[in-house]
Amino acid sequence: MTSTAETEIDFKTVEHSTAPGRVTLSGVSKLYGKNYAVQSLDLDIRAGEFISLLGPSGCGKTTTLRMIGGFEYPDEGSISISDVVMQDLPPHKRPVNTVFQAYALFPHMSVAKNVAYGLGYAKVPKSEMGQRVGDALAMVRMKHLADRMPAQLSGGQQQRIALARALVNRPSVLLLDEPMSALDRKLREEMQIELKLLQQQLGTTFVFVTHDQEEAMTMSDRIAVMNGGRIEQIGSPAEVYDSPTTANVAGFIGQQNFFTGSVENTGPVGASVTVPGATLVSAKAPGQPLVKGGPATVAVRPENVTVTAGDAAGPNQISATLMSISQLGSYLQVVMLTAEGLKVMARTNRTVDMPTRIGDAVTASWSAESVTIYPTA
Amino acid sequence: MTALDASSAPGLTQSSGIGPRRTGARRFRWNVGLLALPIGVWLVFFFIVPFVVILWYSFGDKPSLYVTHSNDTLSLGRFAEALSPVFFQTFARTLNIAASGTLICLLIGFPIAYWMAVKLSPKYQGLALGLVLVPYWTNFLVRTIGWQITLSPQSFLADVSRNLGFGTPELLYTSGAVQLGVVYNYLPLMILPLYVALERMDHRLLEASRDLGANAFEGFRRVTVPLALPGIGAGLLLVFVPLMGDYITPSVLGGAAGSMVGQMVASQFQTAQNWALGSAMAILLMLAILAVVVVFAIIFKVIGMVIDRVERVNVLDDAKGSAA
Repeated sequence: MTSTAETEIDFKTVEHSTAPGRVTLSGVSKLYGKNYAVQSLDLDIRAGEFISLLGPSGCGKTTTLRMIGGFEYPDEGSISISDVVMQDLPPHKRPVNTVFQAYALFPHMSVAKNVAYGLGYAKVPKSEMGQRVGDALAMVRMKHLADRMPAQLSGGQQQRIALARALVNRPSVLLLDEPMSALDRKLREEMQIELKLLQQQLGTTFVFVTHDQEEAMTMSDRIAVMNGGRIEQIGSPAEVYDSPTTANVAGFIGQQNFFTGSVENTGPVGASVTVPGATLVSAKAPGQPLVKGGPATVAVRPENVTVTAGDAAGPNQISATLMSISQLGSYLQVVMLTAEGLKVMARTNRTVDMPTRIGDAVTASWSAESVTIYPTA
Repeated sequence: MTALDASSAPGLTQSSGIGPRRTGARRFRWNVGLLALPIGVWLVFFFIVPFVVILWYSFGDKPSLYVTHSNDTLSLGRFAEALSPVFFQTFARTLNIAASGTLICLLIGFPIAYWMAVKLSPKYQGLALGLVLVPYWTNFLVRTIGWQITLSPQSFLADVSRNLGFGTPELLYTSGAVQLGVVYNYLPLMILPLYVALERMDHRLLEASRDLGANAFEGFRRVTVPLALPGIGAGLLLVFVPLMGDYITPSVLGGAAGSMVGQMVASQFQTAQNWALGSAMAILLMLAILAVVVVFAIIFKVIGMVIDRVERVNVLDDAKGSAA
């Protein structure tokens, strides 16, 4: 598949669409019994973007994906794909294809037949099928396994076949439902890079559901962090990582030290919070408006915490005892405990004067710029 | 769309899957073999020994009125005697009842098994399975006599028919009654393997089928049915083979009109006291059933190969447009 013409969307249903691959959800809700799996969700997925729906299990990310795919119908709201309203269309009439969590390859069909399965319904002439299947398999570098049965393949190979089976239909939107959860870590990291490159080459909209924040960070143009059936924050990986708008998002993306206390002072671009044994200062705008004297959560990433023997410079410092120290590849992970019982975690390169014995008295410090304060609900 | 550089993706390297041979493997296999001993003993004493005895008797004869069999002189005479026009006639009728009975069981059993395995919530599947099994655990003869009572001219059904002015229906002692009886008696043997096959099927495969553009019927045809094939095959065998040898159902419901070949064999052992001829008939019946099963297995295999050939996707190794 060298010509760009071949990657153009040729689905009948989207013939006159102005934005192939754009997905719009407006006010979408899905009820299971009396509980909202997804509640008043608005999401505009741009054509050609790689977006991840990220969140813990039960946050509604898979339900959202299944509603786009047509496997669930929303109780409220509308879904349009490529500017065509289709929340009531069954899955086989939508210009989307899915890579399922456990791949769902047809066990009684060879790899080639699996990949060719959808082509007959897309009215691809029989003479062209072999070429299309071959190209799709070549794309995921599985052409040499065309005659194998799925049971004869490794997990990584099965995943590639599932990808080829979905992409061979040239969907406007590809839905991926935690497709890497069954792969081991090393293979997963390789596949992440490959999938991202593939998406960039194809220009197809990818909607990727995952609970793995690193996976979402690696591949996505944008991440929608979901919680309790709603989107808490949507933005580029850097935005979501650097400026999480809620404590939930802050905790879910990367690691955080959380300290709870009460707001001592609050201003337009800074605030301070009293926690047991210390007052912590932030130079950043709070995630949400703070009330003086009200409860608040202070968030600091472990990589922003410095560990020293004596007193440190700067506004935020806490005296603590070194509890554990572990070498994690290129950095050290240090866990400290203050006299008041606060746990502080640091992630740091080894410095010459750093105490390394368990039980050593240390000072943990960090800059005011690395602190974000959230009101506690 | 170009292929990604193959060398940059170690995820692609195929592992051979063959690890170093474990030294304990041989001993382990021995222990597993021992576990199969009870079923082996069972097979020898309850299948192989009786079979050999019957085979041995079939080469003998019935020397006098008060002796059931003798193997003093061995011959193929009983086989010649057994291959009478009556035997062929009865065999043809038996084959007819068994084949249509098996087919009816499949047509009734598949929707029931599908409903149980796919549509019914797992909570109620045990109950449904029980409802299928409990009648089956009831004594075979009692169940069949139950139908004899139901179909008799003195039954409730006949009363209703008479009161409606249709007269007394002739239901009992017809081949229709036998057909009804065998379907009723053997249906669970069809439902169970179908249920097992369908229950084991990953339901997400049907979602994948729809996702790829197939409607519900296409998914049924291309995914459900092929995956249920082992269950269909097992069900056909489980119903057809014992049905061919059944003599209780036709005896109770069929009278003379519905007689089946199993009754002929039984009557040689019980009424005529001619064990040699009965054994020869039994052997012929077994061979005939085997032949029918083999012929159908070959037919299905050929159909499967033809379908496979028609649906084949040739991934051509040409250079045009391909970046392999």
